[in-house]
Amino acid sequence: MPVVSITNLKKRFQDQEVIKGLDFQLSEGKCIALLGANGAGKTTTLKMLAGLMKPDSGSIVFEGGEKADFRRLIGYLPQFPVFYEWMTGKEFLEYAGRLAGLPKATARNRAEELFELTGISDAKNRRIGKYSGGMKQRLGIAQAIIHRPKLVMLDEPVSALDPFGRREVLELMDKLKKETAILFSTHILNDAEEICDEILFLHNGELVESGTLAGLRTKHQQAKIDLAFKENTLQYAEELSLLQPFSSMKLDGEYASFLVEDIEYARELFLTEIMKRNLPLVKFEISRTRLEDVFMKVVQK
Amino acid sequence: MNQWMTLFKKEMLEMSRNFKWIWVPLTFIMIAVKEPLTLYYMPQIIDSLGGLPEGAVIELPVPSAGEALAASLSQFNTFGVLIIVLITMGTIAGERKSGVAGLILVKPVSYAWFVTAKWASSMILIWFSYFLSYFLSWYYVGVLFKFISFTDFLQSFFVNGIWLTLIITVVILFNTFMKSPGAVGFISIGIIVILSLLSSSLPHLLEWSPALLSAYANAFIMGSNFPDELLPSIIVSVFMITLSLLASIAIFKRRELA
Repeated sequence: MPVVSITNLKKRFQDQEVIKGLDFQLSEGKCIALLGANGAGKTTTLKMLAGLMKPDSGSIVFEGGEKADFRRLIGYLPQFPVFYEWMTGKEFLEYAGRLAGLPKATARNRAEELFELTGISDAKNRRIGKYSGGMKQRLGIAQAIIHRPKLVMLDEPVSALDPFGRREVLELMDKLKKETAILFSTHILNDAEEICDEILFLHNGELVESGTLAGLRTKHQQAKIDLAFKENTLQYAEELSLLQPFSSMKLDGEYASFLVEDIEYARELFLTEIMKRNLPLVKFEISRTRLEDVFMKVVQK
Repeated sequence: MNQWMTLFKKEMLEMSRNFKWIWVPLTFIMIAVKEPLTLYYMPQIIDSLGGLPEGAVIELPVPSAGEALAASLSQFNTFGVLIIVLITMGTIAGERKSGVAGLILVKPVSYAWFVTAKWASSMILIWFSYFLSYFLSWYYVGVLFKFISFTDFLQSFFVNGIWLTLIITVVILFNTFMKSPGAVGFISIGIIVILSLLSSSLPHLLEWSPALLSAYANAFIMGSNFPDELLPSIIVSVFMITLSLLASIAIFKRRELA
């Protein structure tokens, strides 16, 4: 049974329809990235899931039905988390834990545990007003998971961080995967690829692509052979193209790129031909088109 | 109930961290106690400032003890109300505006408890400051003029306090409506001013109005008896306080927080 099922979710702000009918399900223990450009509707979707915004139509049903308080099941970190600056980190975490229904002692132990996990133990007795951006982000993650929710939603958890902060938070999320399902939004495919196995790709309020990264790769990625010769690359490439083992050819500066269907066959064919004619080959590279390019294409459409 | 205590304790802690427990009582004391003091020392003050020509004879009627204490009481309805609105106008609106409310209310927090904990903590702070300052004022009136019976003091204290409670509750109500503390303050003050003006200019039509409670308390401390309309006024006030609180909770539940 999925933790949450979303059907035909819609939301409009004034005259603009921001979410145009989303359908998806999230199951337990998965890590899913909500991918999309700025303005694609990621934050709106997460806010609706967290109950901070009401959808215009469609339904969000959490495990346990519509009657139960779904907030026990979720943890949420907004894009720009704000805390009570006058509290210390420890006070805030314990407060969050108590509000989530943990008994006093449990809240204290769990807070302690999370300071260890997030690596901000040194700052736990400092006022949150003095925390750096990365520390606030980690405190934000800690408060989101303090009650061991089944689903944690993180809105752009790494976007505002410097490379070190980014790395730390990504590693933290990697650890979290073992405990809970994660849904996090990002506009960077790299982040998604690093820790997630599935993505939901949002564009202009619509789900344009979704599935496992592996599945998307086989679906969208194509094998590619790049060739370069010492001279006359264009001429040789055109001659080779007569062999027709590929679906398209592109001349890219010094290189000729061939998108091919059957990599084994194409390699064999090219290499034999090149050897036979003793062409002055300087580069022969087999690679794949990047998933990023696929998404760029979708976004630019 | 556990959760309510957690929310309530946080409010109390916040009030002590930002020194509200010090400056709110101090401000209340300043505005209340200054009345009997200035009334008593007025001749000396005018004298020392030397604003009058040589030979002029100042004859100020010596105010009665009741008048002096009533002067304090009326301060609560001008400056006092302003301070109450200023310190409560951001209690929920401010948290919503900054975004921290979003972080807190995605936890399984009861909306009713969130609102009532805010209300209760504001009540305690303001009633404490109000009592302390009015009590000191009563004491100074006793020392400088004449001691007024303590039960009379208490009665006027509670009657006027009901009006102040209604103000706190109205500010909380607008807190659940709007995201901007400034707007909350502006509208609350507007409503209070309109209600007070209407009640004082049309007292025969609105004799049960909560806004008249302060006038009743004022007249009482100056020596007259409470009018028959006191009880209905109190009942109307308590009814409005309850209604506003329930409305606050209902509205807050339906609001989009982000």
